[in-house]
Amino acid sequence: MHRRPDIERKTSISYKTEEKTVLRGYNLSDLAEEGYSFTDAMFVLFQNRIPTQKEEKMLRYEMGVFLEHSMSPSAAGAIGVSVGRPNLTSAIAASISTFGGVHGPGAAHGYMMKKYLKQAHEEGKTIDEIAKVLVDDYMDNGTPVMGMGQPQHTDSDPRAEPIHLKQEELGLNGVYLKLQRAVEKYFHARRKKEGRGYVGVNVVGAGNTALCDIGFAPNAAWCIGSVSRGFSCAAHALFNMKRGRAWAASKSEPMVQMLDLSMIKYVGPPDRKVPKQSERQEYARKQKEEGEYKKWVI
Amino acid sequence: MGDLTPADKKGIGNLDDPGLPFDYSEREYGTVPIDETRARFQWVSEVAYKNVHRIVARGYDTTELVEEGYGVTDVLFVDFQARIPTVEEDQMLNYVMIMALEDGLSAPAVMSRLVAQSKTFLTQACGASIHAFGHAYGAYSAFGNRLLDELKAGRAKGLDIDAIAQGIVEVNLDDESLGVSDLMLKDPAAKRMIERARKLGVAGEYVELMTAIVEKAGAASDTPVDIDMLGTIGSVMMDLGFTAEATWAILAVTRSFAAGAHFIEEIERADYRRLGQVLTPPEMYDGHPDRPVPPLAERDALAKSALSADLDEWATGQEERKSVWGSGYSIDEEIEDPSKKTGIKSVGKKL
Repeated sequence: MHRRPDIERKTSISYKTEEKTVLRGYNLSDLAEEGYSFTDAMFVLFQNRIPTQKEEKMLRYEMGVFLEHSMSPSAAGAIGVSVGRPNLTSAIAASISTFGGVHGPGAAHGYMMKKYLKQAHEEGKTIDEIAKVLVDDYMDNGTPVMGMGQPQHTDSDPRAEPIHLKQEELGLNGVYLKLQRAVEKYFHARRKKEGRGYVGVNVVGAGNTALCDIGFAPNAAWCIGSVSRGFSCAAHALFNMKRGRAWAASKSEPMVQMLDLSMIKYVGPPDRKVPKQSERQEYARKQKEEGEYKKWVI
Repeated sequence: MGDLTPADKKGIGNLDDPGLPFDYSEREYGTVPIDETRARFQWVSEVAYKNVHRIVARGYDTTELVEEGYGVTDVLFVDFQARIPTVEEDQMLNYVMIMALEDGLSAPAVMSRLVAQSKTFLTQACGASIHAFGHAYGAYSAFGNRLLDELKAGRAKGLDIDAIAQGIVEVNLDDESLGVSDLMLKDPAAKRMIERARKLGVAGEYVELMTAIVEKAGAASDTPVDIDMLGTIGSVMMDLGFTAEATWAILAVTRSFAAGAHFIEEIERADYRRLGQVLTPPEMYDGHPDRPVPPLAERDALAKSALSADLDEWATGQEERKSVWGSGYSIDEEIEDPSKKTGIKSVGKKL
């Protein structure tokens, strides 16, 4: 049996022999036998260290609260894929891939915090001062402040503020939480001054802050959050595969299905004749010349 | 659902804390009623619709299209550009897609084969191969958007193609998505494609700009460089009217056909892999040496928290952690700078 790896790379993450698997120097079996948790292993994996109990508690809370979010892009992605009945894993992979620029953009929020903390350090500003700079930079430009607002939880994300409190309860209020809290203070004050409504911190603003304070770099934090969601999306996909109709277009279901023909609303170019091949060249040149097509180009 | 009282919900963790900006126990249970004030959700599309009898893309019935002799490459023009291509444009797209179809055992094929080894559906392998196309390998989006932006900005300043090309090279000479490199010095395929585009009369401003970039890069580089497949395919596709994103999508999917063949061959000629089968010999490992797992009871005495109380401590920690490969501390992603409106897209960059 061929047991060599497919790619030749130096790695400082792990090695595996016939006798054991070693992660960052720790035998995985010994870690588990000693009673360490899966969340402890996240610290070993991404940070090469055993965390304090408080740090482990914070991560356990964060992963637990982020795991399920009912109908979000990730669950919708998983369900959309599942109706074609591929392997379950395709639906899960799709759900994790939905995490991008606006759905759980943990890395971007982390890099934003890093950028402004670095600026504060270099310019001798306090965290409070740099938080105001951050808020003004984004709001002056009309750009949403990352970590604030959630399109469904318009009356404040039920996960976010409790995450802040948990972090404070555990005494883990480091520079990231100080910055995030100050950002929220200036953000709320400015919106109030401008006569705008309340927009609360979201789970990225709170959760990612906690992850950064317990030592996870932005991409590691993003990985932890997004992949945690994969678990619940697997449940949503599985529910639909076991209890729902494949194809999602059945006319016999009591509820109009996701892919029922009546669900399609077309707003593109109006119906038109297909040009004969013999007329194609002239047709195509004229179409290009007139340029009407350009408004539809994507 | 919905019958719990606030009293039932008191006393859970921090949820009664006055620091919360809301009273958590008063928050409602139950789903939200259907919003009857707005139209119900529909799949809105400019691209295509179907009914019981027809499938219509950009106004053209797709069955009528193929009955009239149009084919897959024509339909790509219809879907992405809402128009029928000229014969020459269609010929050029066929040429491009043939050249983009296969690339040996590069990332898409390898990803497909690795997925194949797990004994799964072929479609999963094809899908995985598409993920190989990023902003370095198959960087059609990064490449094309740079050309588009620089052309627009250069023209607004009254610059000619030569000056725009010079500006691009000065900033991006070593960038993976420049389209100029030493990859095709012995293979004439890239240059032949440019010649074919010219011969068919479909080469336009992007091929012209790319030609100028190659010239400027050649002069600026200490080592021989020439146009590569990214530069050729990207500029020709944009002269065919495809956006940078459409180019990225079409060529990634094109390669996925070949990834399917690699999946099949992997199954035909190799064995499936079992969980735990592949070993990683210690000689490939350069991480922390073997160490005993500390007793759980002593963890707090032994563990060092990552918490930084002030900015000096934070800055020191950032540097120290760069030595841990796989932690992410050696990656710094550029984010859009709202204060300068730079429009830089976050694509990931090593420090």
